[in-house]
Amino acid sequence: MHEKKAAILGEIPRLRRYARSLLRDRDAADDLVQDCLERALVRLDNWQTGESPRRWLFTIMHHLFIDQMRKVNRRGEATMLPLEAGEAVAQPAEQVESIASREIIEALQAISPDRRAALVMVAIEGFSYAEAANILGVPAGTLMSRIARGREELRGLLDDTARRRAIRIVEK
Amino acid sequence: MIRRDFSERDIHMAIDGELPADERAAYDAWLDANPEMKARSARFTADRTALRAAFAGVLDEPVPVRLRKVVFGETPVKAAASRSRWWLAAAAAVLVVAGGLGGYFAGIDRIGQENPAEDRLAEQAIAAHVVFAAEKRHAVEVPATDKDHLQTWLSNRVGLKLVAPDLTANGFQLIGGRLLPAGESKAAMLLYEDDKGERISLFVTAQSAQNAKGTYASAQDGPQAVYWLDKGYGCVVVGSLPSEQLAVVAKSAYGQLLAGLAS
Repeated sequence: MHEKKAAILGEIPRLRRYARSLLRDRDAADDLVQDCLERALVRLDNWQTGESPRRWLFTIMHHLFIDQMRKVNRRGEATMLPLEAGEAVAQPAEQVESIASREIIEALQAISPDRRAALVMVAIEGFSYAEAANILGVPAGTLMSRIARGREELRGLLDDTARRRAIRIVEK
Repeated sequence: MIRRDFSERDIHMAIDGELPADERAAYDAWLDANPEMKARSARFTADRTALRAAFAGVLDEPVPVRLRKVVFGETPVKAAASRSRWWLAAAAAVLVVAGGLGGYFAGIDRIGQENPAEDRLAEQAIAAHVVFAAEKRHAVEVPATDKDHLQTWLSNRVGLKLVAPDLTANGFQLIGGRLLPAGESKAAMLLYEDDKGERISLFVTAQSAQNAKGTYASAQDGPQAVYWLDKGYGCVVVGSLPSEQLAVVAKSAYGQLLAGLAS
């Protein structure tokens, strides 16, 4: 039991990184991690001996994330967001981010959640296509197309940002 | 060596370490023969490096006490669904970022299609901003040097008591204003500029039926609108500022406008 908990504790930094790339806001990301940990502890018995704790935990967290994103979309709650809430979320993260980091973090937030998750899983978390497809519960072909589209979307957004910056400089 | 045609798909596989080792040499040769694909591969590789760098610091952060406590059961484990406030932030982040990136989402994946009245008002305000904020000599009909006349004239035409908000605390000076059509009624447009030449506009109309507030962007790369609608008036602030900054300026403008209406 204690071994399992120690193994879970060891995965927290990576879970936090994944959550942060999905959600941007630090507190919201840690809330997601906390939800994930609580669910994991309730289901500790479901964790097969020999199964990687990382894969098990990422699967739990990913499902929590995608379920909630779908609910939010279905209810359309994002459409009537009060401005105050938007402002609260828009607070810059506590750590100092370079402009390049901020641009790429913001662009990442703007791509669709499915693509974002697929891209992050492989490009940041370093899972193989097979592992990532397994965690996300999609066929390998779907995963690959999400990664490809996600990358293209991300690049398009970064190009737009760069172009807008160029326009501003020209206008000065 | 296996001979086969490569495609863009292989670029992603190569970047993600999924390309079989025995295909690597042929793939590299294919890249060398296709400068466009090579450039694409270089961009994607650079993006991957930037992504990893952007989140690298998270691994070094200490594990928050509240998360450690969950694992070691120092607080009773409750059903995971009971808190879940993070998803609201997730929804909010989607909107804020969509605005910040020039309404990219508005074009490709708009969440919800209702609220036509706000959309129409925001679109009119954005259209006016795009046309007049770009004008150098003819941006306004009445300049700020004639502010009293501007306020009286627009108030009479629009049918609201308009006081031009003072946005100097936000770095913006009033340039002037003009009268515009807004659907079947009229709108007042007030134009402001900061010392870098960045312009924002206020679009105020007396016509509105419902209460609403939000943000709107009509096109990728276009300016963003922050709007409020209430009984009897609608107010839209339009600009291409970062969305956090626009939200702050808009709120200040709206607050002063409301105070003016009631004065």
